[in-house]
Amino acid sequence: MLSSLPEKFRSHGLKADVRTLLLLRKAMQKGLIKTLGDIYNVLKGIVVKEPSEMGPFTKAYYEYFLYVPIEPGQTLEDAILRSETFAKWKTQFLDEAGKDLSDEELVTEFLDQVHLTSYDIKEVINGKEIWDKDNPDLADEDGLENDGEPAERVLDKMADYSDLSLEELLERMEKVREQQKTRHGGGSHWIGTGGISPYGHGGAAKNGIRVGGQGGGKMARKVMGDKNYFPIDRDALLNDNNVDAALASIKGVIEESAIEKLDVPLTIKSGLKRGGLFIPELSSEKNEELKVIVLIDNGGYSMAPYVRSVQNLFRKMKTRFAHDLEVYYFHNTIYNRVYVDERRTKSITIDKLLAHSKRYRVFFIGDAAMAPYELDSHSIQSIQSIVSKFKKCVWLNPEPLKYWPYTYTIQVMKELVPMFPLSPAGIERAVRKMNEKSSN
Amino acid sequence: MAETTHWTGSDKYLCDPALAQAFHMARTLGMPLLIEGEPGTGKTELPIHYAKDRGLDLEVYPVGSKSNIEQFVARFDHVKYLRDSQIEILNAQREEKGLESKLTTGNRNPEKLGDYVVKGPAAIAYSKPNSVLLIDEIDKAPREFPNDLLYALSHRKFIMPESGEVIEISEADMPAIVITSNREQELPTAFKGRCIYHYIDFPDKEVMGKIIEKHHPKLDEKVVRVALDVFYHLRRLGLERAPTTREILNWLKYMGDIAPKEAVKKIEGLEGIGALIKTQTDMERVNRMIGADDTFGGSRLN
Repeated sequence: MLSSLPEKFRSHGLKADVRTLLLLRKAMQKGLIKTLGDIYNVLKGIVVKEPSEMGPFTKAYYEYFLYVPIEPGQTLEDAILRSETFAKWKTQFLDEAGKDLSDEELVTEFLDQVHLTSYDIKEVINGKEIWDKDNPDLADEDGLENDGEPAERVLDKMADYSDLSLEELLERMEKVREQQKTRHGGGSHWIGTGGISPYGHGGAAKNGIRVGGQGGGKMARKVMGDKNYFPIDRDALLNDNNVDAALASIKGVIEESAIEKLDVPLTIKSGLKRGGLFIPELSSEKNEELKVIVLIDNGGYSMAPYVRSVQNLFRKMKTRFAHDLEVYYFHNTIYNRVYVDERRTKSITIDKLLAHSKRYRVFFIGDAAMAPYELDSHSIQSIQSIVSKFKKCVWLNPEPLKYWPYTYTIQVMKELVPMFPLSPAGIERAVRKMNEKSSN
Repeated sequence: MAETTHWTGSDKYLCDPALAQAFHMARTLGMPLLIEGEPGTGKTELPIHYAKDRGLDLEVYPVGSKSNIEQFVARFDHVKYLRDSQIEILNAQREEKGLESKLTTGNRNPEKLGDYVVKGPAAIAYSKPNSVLLIDEIDKAPREFPNDLLYALSHRKFIMPESGEVIEISEADMPAIVITSNREQELPTAFKGRCIYHYIDFPDKEVMGKIIEKHHPKLDEKVVRVALDVFYHLRRLGLERAPTTREILNWLKYMGDIAPKEAVKKIEGLEGIGALIKTQTDMERVNRMIGADDTFGGSRLN
């Protein structure tokens, strides 16, 4: 059941495997999953491991469970409005609702139903029970029948539902999922109106929500509108929105360890002084090292759009590694000197750069695009000398990956320095590459 | 049986519904809950208030740059062990010389290794069914710490060093484990895989209003509204260190003793803004952008 789920989620760059299914199964056994909204919540807790994954996760969920594809750059609302799933749901919903709603209201209603969780339902039930108990006289009156009924129905259905075995539940879930795809699937099996949600057609769920007012409804809308949930393309080039994701990956280069050790020589020494009474002396060994040199190509128009984001990224780094970060500038490629200031007026020679401890990690940032004659043997030599001195070097390139094969100088530079796209995902891979080397 | 009912906060702590659900899920599945989010969003407060509200025992392990698994689970105190055994020798020597006075080992017996096991919060929490264990700011730990935790968290069993005592707990009795992180360092994937993850979003104005009410119930409504306006305005400036929940609460604590009308004036004049702004650069920036109000308001008040 749902065996294609890990594959689907992985295709969105998320970590999912058979363990995800096992956990999902366990969650069902424990009664955590009763609605489609519950699946969203539980899967989110299991699959999403950092804020930047929220977007891809939501995308995968909508595609897998609701057949709502979200194109890059499209908002969730747009994607829903354009989907067949929504069209089918709308027809049915409008039939039942008997009133006209704007697209926006419809989407809100749709989100309500998709993201309705059993917590919301419980809240409604609890609220109702308390309310009913508080007003015994009123509850008996005919006029309030309409209000009282749905809650009871929810209760009934919830009770019915708990008899379902896990296998049946899984089967039903899969079926509903399939039916959302096929044209004829509509009708009685819909989110909120049957199928996966335990409440029957003509939806106690919907009534429930109306009674409850808040819960799934308002929440869903608010949550889905949040930029964290809005699909962020992790392969998108660095910009102000994903600079934090990039920073998170760049922090992975920190090497830090601290251990308390028994200082044997000192113990013996002081023990002898005490006349043979040995009292252990401890010393702490602490290693914290992250020394970074950043070489930024800030010449040329092609780099201009990225300079700000890049600086923003390293400024944030700088607040954390105040003493261990050095930034130099160059134009297109490096000859025999690099510049200390942005305007490239003050410079140091390449020898001076090479005089740094070899423990420094070097990030080149540039598009590596230049006239072929600029990348002459002299420049290649300079780069090679940097790479051979500092074993941990990577090049981050803001140029979209697909254009790399068409730029001759990128091809050459790539051979000299391991090159990665300047995107959060690219930086992550670059950092991994750096750490790989460090273990050798 | 561990406590697995759905907890939605107490009168002192407003729990975001999404967080409450994630917490419930983690407890039901017997997995640790990993909470990330901006500083000051109440990550650490969750287990503290939960334990208090439900009357459960709470064990806290604040993580630092020198944290290691021994501190967290249990370590054998070699120093005391060596000291006590030396003292035994010393006492024997003194006795030989006919000296009366003896040095004490403080009821510890070097024959009993268990006396020298110092239990950490994990071992204590695991030996008490249905307790709460908070691992605070795990991102401050050395890189290998989270990986070392993996074993401890997934096998509900610890073996005490040297003494060999086994502390084991059933899945049903697992303590509710909450781990917080400020994302200063990326945690290993395998570690995250063992946790239920939740990212706390920064509360919006409406929710923040409620949070403030929980902490300072007597505060005038208008004061809160004006303060919130200023607060969210500051957050939008893109400061290096945007003010957080903790800071607005502190700021308002100071305003609480002043008559509402006066307080509104003070807030509008950005008085005591040092409670919200934490770095020099940010202060300069605020002064530059809305500083006119500051000196203006300030001088009018004086």
